[in-house]
Amino acid sequence: MSEARSGVDTPFPFYGDASRAPRPRRGPLAGIRVADFCWMGVGSCATRLLADFGAEVIKIEDRTRIDMPRRLPFYKGEVRSYGDEMTDPDPDKGGLFNNYSRNKLGVTINLRTDEGRRLAERLISASSVVTENFAPGVMERWGFTYDRLRELVPSVIYARMSGFGHSGPYEHYRSYGPVVQAASGLSYMAGLAGREPSGWGFSYMDNMAAYYNSAALLAAIWNRSRTGVGTEIDVAAVEVGVSLLGPVFLDVTVNGHSTHRPDYPTGNRIEHPAAAPHGVYPSAGADRWIALAVFDDDEWERLVTVMGSPTWAAEDRFARMAGRVAHQDDLDRGISAWTSQLDGHEAMRVLQAAGLRAAAVQNSRDLCEVDPVIRHRGTFFEMDHPVIGAALFEGFPALMGSAGPDHWRSAPLLGEDNEYVLGTILGMERDEIDQLSARGVI
Amino acid sequence: MDSTSGPAPAAASTPHTIDAHPGAFGGLDVVEISLDAAGEMTGRLLAQYGANVLKVEPPEGSPTRSIGPFAHGEEDPDHSLTFWYYNTSKRSVVLDPRQPTWHEELDGRLATADILILSCSPADLDSLGLDPADLAARHPRLVICTITPYGLDGPWSHYQSCDLTNLASGGVLASCGYDDHSIPPIRPGDNQSFHMAASFGLISVLLALIQRDATGKGQLIDLSIHDSVAVSPELANPYYFYSGAVVHRQTCRHAQPVPTQPALFETRDGRWVYFALILADTKPWQSLVEWMDSMDLAADLIDPAYQTLDHRQANFSHIQSILEVFFLLQDAQSAYHEGQRRGLPVAVISSPDEVVHDEHLRAREFFEYVGAPDQPGGLYPGAPIRFSAYRSEPQRPAPRLGEDR
Repeated sequence: MSEARSGVDTPFPFYGDASRAPRPRRGPLAGIRVADFCWMGVGSCATRLLADFGAEVIKIEDRTRIDMPRRLPFYKGEVRSYGDEMTDPDPDKGGLFNNYSRNKLGVTINLRTDEGRRLAERLISASSVVTENFAPGVMERWGFTYDRLRELVPSVIYARMSGFGHSGPYEHYRSYGPVVQAASGLSYMAGLAGREPSGWGFSYMDNMAAYYNSAALLAAIWNRSRTGVGTEIDVAAVEVGVSLLGPVFLDVTVNGHSTHRPDYPTGNRIEHPAAAPHGVYPSAGADRWIALAVFDDDEWERLVTVMGSPTWAAEDRFARMAGRVAHQDDLDRGISAWTSQLDGHEAMRVLQAAGLRAAAVQNSRDLCEVDPVIRHRGTFFEMDHPVIGAALFEGFPALMGSAGPDHWRSAPLLGEDNEYVLGTILGMERDEIDQLSARGVI
Repeated sequence: MDSTSGPAPAAASTPHTIDAHPGAFGGLDVVEISLDAAGEMTGRLLAQYGANVLKVEPPEGSPTRSIGPFAHGEEDPDHSLTFWYYNTSKRSVVLDPRQPTWHEELDGRLATADILILSCSPADLDSLGLDPADLAARHPRLVICTITPYGLDGPWSHYQSCDLTNLASGGVLASCGYDDHSIPPIRPGDNQSFHMAASFGLISVLLALIQRDATGKGQLIDLSIHDSVAVSPELANPYYFYSGAVVHRQTCRHAQPVPTQPALFETRDGRWVYFALILADTKPWQSLVEWMDSMDLAADLIDPAYQTLDHRQANFSHIQSILEVFFLLQDAQSAYHEGQRRGLPVAVISSPDEVVHDEHLRAREFFEYVGAPDQPGGLYPGAPIRFSAYRSEPQRPAPRLGEDR
């Protein structure tokens, strides 16, 4: 970051590049240190929020088990699919890791050694929040139970993030986003009736579970600052998923209206409230689309005008909502004929000018290159990285009056902050650190 | 209470409700003016953990009261399941924005409140006569969270929206749908754009409360639903940020820059299981072949030649077709549990009906029966966050319109 680079000389000469050295953090969480055992997606995304808002998040990594996002092939100028990783990837080159671990410090500790675990305990003792998202049982195997952590830090906050939670018959089930989405009912609800579900084209529940874990941590931090009481937190991604199913859940449990029926799910159409048209229509270009929804007859009349009052739209059967709902196939054909002539963003503009709900189906290129809201609000921002170079990041979707994020550095190189964390924070001597390094502990 | 509401077997070590502290948000006073589900979901999460959430509604009731489905078909403002879902454990008071006393009455409620949730479009704020900056100036300790489709100001702030258009403009919809691209992208689930915004509503309110403890001052939060969606498509943004690639939707699996093998398999009982085979990982491959072999369905996959990644990659479509047969010869539930027992990330595509009876969720006592003598009851999703130190309050039924005076 240019701001950091222009600053005064760092007191930490072991950073070759002074702009990489830690500086005092700003934000509502400044002064809170987190011993962060998280890896993969959910945990890393959850603790990123804490790092963004000022907490000193120390990401504990293991050189013998490189964090997956360091290995996944998100590289500049190279297009590879998610599963198509290199055989011996450079751990500092992975863009997904940069995305998840910005603003964090990075330390390497081999937790499969006694010495490594003792070192981790020292780090926990110097922290007040501990986070992890291993399979249930892993932290226990290393001795990091809530009871033990409370011995080290009486008011510790210990966040456990998992797919199925830390109890129950499926506690040890393997999970990642798509499994959570399937098991919670979310995948079932998306698709066209009479065929396989279309479900989710990404790990929605990685993000949503992460957000709920961030909120849980903030709630615990806020409470502890007033009462001095810490807590253990158990967030099961599957339970978060079920809690997101929406009103259809009560249609099942209160009304006994089953979702096992031939007209479910309903694709892009909705039943409650009645709305037609309510769909995604082709726009000009290959595989480009626009979403459009009409919730009352007045909106329909405006849509007809915007379309230039074509003959088909004047038919009586389309004049009222009930008729449009009953004849949605014909309705959608007519609208598609009109939208397919138009650029998606241009159609969005003319429809919105008539006060209609419409949006181009934007992809990530559109978000970066076209979307004026993302630009206006500065939601995506750039930071430099020593190996990757300049990169864009997804920021916070709210503009905070006074408690905004503090973006100070891109993600740590593997072990980049070992000297700072062990020397400056834990007070270890240089030769002690060197010996740990020689013995493969860090 | 109905027959499905009986106590589930106690979980061995579920760490919730150990101590007797009140809910994590006990003592917080929240005023909520929500014209959509984003603010209502934010309020529900606060209420679920003990906040005192007062919904301020117009005489005709909040808009979600008129959205079905309705409990047992009773179409009135007190029987909307949409409203019930988003408004458990809240109170309701009617204040009429058309009356001259509106501002005075609202100010009275805000004088003692910690949080104000304003969830609607900027145009709706205007018609309610509410200026967030002015409210913030008059109530300096108040945390005001506005949740609008495209932000309080800016190029699209006057645009109309709904869940479908939110997902479209926010970049999530483009990733969802079928391999067949003559079918448009398909909206995933109900109201998820509002749910994404609500999670950031809760997060930003908590950040502001922490800040207030340090400074004594509240603040105005300008949360955009569009931006909440735009930061949430998981891999699509990093793909573009780094490689410049745009991902393409695929049936019920990750959208990718280049096509990948299907991950949905039909089972004997006409259901679907999700299983994404990652060829590069040796251990899951061995577990899979052992599993298939145990049912005499491994065919030639037991050939040692498949121990090498190159051979597996060269024969991926052959492997895929044997897998299709393998799953087609067993029931979805057996495939799910046997696969998981063998350490493979298999899942059955569960319906909401099945989720209610899920043995694991029952054992964790996740569901709560919510109902009242005059309100048909049923199981609701319980607390999605479990604190050992704070209890989640049992959810109370959503309030009748104006039941608190």
